[in-house]
Amino acid sequence: MGNPNTVGDEPLPLATTLTPQPPLTPGALPAYPGAQELAAATRGQALVLRGLTKAFGPRVAVDHIDLDVPVGSFFGLVGPNGAGKTTTLSMVTGLLRPDSGRVLVSGVDVWTDPAAAKARMGVLPDGLRLFERLSGPELLSYLGRLRGMPLEVVKQRSAELIRVLDLDDAGNKLVADYSTGMRKKITLAAALLHSPALLLLDEPLEAVDPVSARIIRTVLTQYTHAGGTVVFSSHVMALVEGLCTHVAVMGGGRIIAAGEIAAVRGDAASLDDAFMHLVGAPEMQEGGLSWLGSSQA
Amino acid sequence: MVGVFASLKWHLVTSRLRAASGAKKVWMAIGFAVLGILLLLIAFGLGTLRLVPMDAVPVMVTLLTLQLVGWMLTPLVAFGVDETVDPQRFALLPLRPQTLQVGLLVTSLIGYLPLANIIVLLGVAVALSVPWSLLPVALACMVVQLLLCVVLSRAASTSMSALMSSRRGRDLGMAVGLGVFVLYMLFVVFVNNPTASSSANGNAIRGGVLGVAEILQWTPPGALATLPALVDAGQWGRAALAAVIALAGLGLAWWWWAAALRRNLTTVPSSTEGSAPSHGAEGTAVAVGVIGTMKVVAGRDRLLAWRDPMRRMPWLMVIILTIAWPFVVVRGSGAIFAVALGALLCGAQAGNQYGVEGSGLWLHLQTVTDRMRARGEVLGHALVAIVPGVLIVLVGIAVQAIAHDDVAQVPAAVGVCLAALLGAVAVSCYMSAAMPYAQPQSRKSMFASSVPGQKGRTAAASFGFLLGGIVVALPAVICLVLSLLVAPVWGWVALVVGPLVGVLALLISVRLTADKFLVSAPEIFEIVRAGDRV
Repeated sequence: MGNPNTVGDEPLPLATTLTPQPPLTPGALPAYPGAQELAAATRGQALVLRGLTKAFGPRVAVDHIDLDVPVGSFFGLVGPNGAGKTTTLSMVTGLLRPDSGRVLVSGVDVWTDPAAAKARMGVLPDGLRLFERLSGPELLSYLGRLRGMPLEVVKQRSAELIRVLDLDDAGNKLVADYSTGMRKKITLAAALLHSPALLLLDEPLEAVDPVSARIIRTVLTQYTHAGGTVVFSSHVMALVEGLCTHVAVMGGGRIIAAGEIAAVRGDAASLDDAFMHLVGAPEMQEGGLSWLGSSQA
Repeated sequence: MVGVFASLKWHLVTSRLRAASGAKKVWMAIGFAVLGILLLLIAFGLGTLRLVPMDAVPVMVTLLTLQLVGWMLTPLVAFGVDETVDPQRFALLPLRPQTLQVGLLVTSLIGYLPLANIIVLLGVAVALSVPWSLLPVALACMVVQLLLCVVLSRAASTSMSALMSSRRGRDLGMAVGLGVFVLYMLFVVFVNNPTASSSANGNAIRGGVLGVAEILQWTPPGALATLPALVDAGQWGRAALAAVIALAGLGLAWWWWAAALRRNLTTVPSSTEGSAPSHGAEGTAVAVGVIGTMKVVAGRDRLLAWRDPMRRMPWLMVIILTIAWPFVVVRGSGAIFAVALGALLCGAQAGNQYGVEGSGLWLHLQTVTDRMRARGEVLGHALVAIVPGVLIVLVGIAVQAIAHDDVAQVPAAVGVCLAALLGAVAVSCYMSAAMPYAQPQSRKSMFASSVPGQKGRTAAASFGFLLGGIVVALPAVICLVLSLLVAPVWGWVALVVGPLVGVLALLISVRLTADKFLVSAPEIFEIVRAGDRV
């Protein structure tokens, strides 16, 4: 693959300095400053990862990654299948316990103070179920009230979210009967309901119809303009390039490149080209499959 | 083409064996050998019934009918048992319906289940072959019975496969599962009825079977069971009628299957549109403090208990077991204490509270993050088991007390049952966090209660409540025994002690469960999300 931090022959002007971390012995505390010191040192960052690691048996899914996500940024997390994007987001959102490392959300450590950290984040995971036998409004009402939000605030916000996300027509239909696009939108509504500082979205636009996708993009853009931070994973480079201010490219459980979009793209024609080069994807060769279309047996 | 189908099914049947490692292969071989010996013993036992030919025919009439009903209902209550059940899988292959039907028939006859049925049917044939010269007739009848089972089962499953592809259809399957349970209860009551037949010489079960067989002999499986005896008796008219009934049944089933197959291959599966709307029951409680959180969670659980058949059906079964079952197992005074089993089962409804939503638990991982909410959540889940549970148990006790004029035993029975209920709730709550297990979320079968790799965990968690409930009820049970042996006033002591110990156990359990959840929520999530895959 060559030097992963270069595009063509030009070195990448990375916003994040990538220094390899020494491997931790199992059970050892990570060699990083405590949460207080780290929070002070990374003020101005909505999300900070240090030495985050997760292995499933012998396979290391996420390998000592460091990442800083500035407040107010629209941050894309890209990488091929198996790169470690979902595992990383799962550890950031408190759904998967890391083997080592630290995650700070708005200066709060997710794994030492989950209550405070989770109050600051909204989550849209990929492929997880919802409370399927509730309707959309019931789901929002339940989650808002469970967070201890005043009833009137819950009612007013959920009504507005349902209207903005174009879920009015669903009425009292159960979530079990929602389409993929509707499911993504109601999950986004649930993530926004308590007005968190940080949104963590795993493939929010995967398998979503164009109309729903546009609505979701618009809502997310408005959210960042209002000062919120969005981190989202995606396979679609054009979407990341058009939407994000920053991007991190993952491959083999590591951050290969990270920074502002223009910096990561470098001299490449597009982010897609830069990505292909960074992850070392082989080009499809000419020839082969010559029998296609020649017979039907 | 039939050979291709047979080879495909053979590969499916043997794939687990081929994929297994050396040691696993040995264990599987031992398991199959044990099962085979068991089946041969059953067949031998059935065969010995030839020594009492007067009883053999009615017993076999009932047995063959039950076998047919079992084959018909299995795809509905356990859809997905066989990968080749769904004919939509063949829709894109260039096959004529007749070829497909014959191919599917062949695949249906290859497998563990048909083999087990063949062994049992051999025993039935032996039982019906009195004298031995009737064996060819009996064997021919069993061949027709096997074909009848397979064809009718396929016809039913093909007709329902479109329905079962939708969520509402699978919900209906759950209701059918409950219907099967109710039918079983009625069957037991009917067969075990001492007044069923005057010719039974006071033997209740024998009389019941004779009564049932008199009706069932006019059905195809019943006709097949009576045919050898009719041939032996020289009743050629009756024998011909029995043969016509059986063959007409088989022909009709084949025609039904062909029609269902044609329809199934040319229409799209039903959609989930038109599900019952929710009526917007959003609740007003807010999670401020433990009690507020409890109200929020209990409100949602109560709603889902009505809406979700996976939660509703167990409650309906519990109602039947608490109120009706004591009449079946205990005749006369003392049945009031059989309600305690129902109380334990009511308590078990608070079980696996973190696993019931599958990966939907992530929503609670994001919101239930402190001790106050965690305790409120556990209490909320517990409350939804306790409130209806107490009502059902009290009704069960009242019904038994009135039916058997057992009013004197009511205080002790209430004490024991409430202790058992609360104890089972307490243990179920704690087991939810200490030993969570994945619950299949596809709703393909109400009897599919575990996912591969978690069967032991599921069994341990499912039966832990029994032990816990009994332990918590022990002080009340001691008071009950004293009320029977020493003085009736101990019954009133049981009424006070039972609920007191139960509430204490519940309060301790809520604290322990909440702490356990907060400490190990990601690990619990990792286990229960496996339910999404099944």
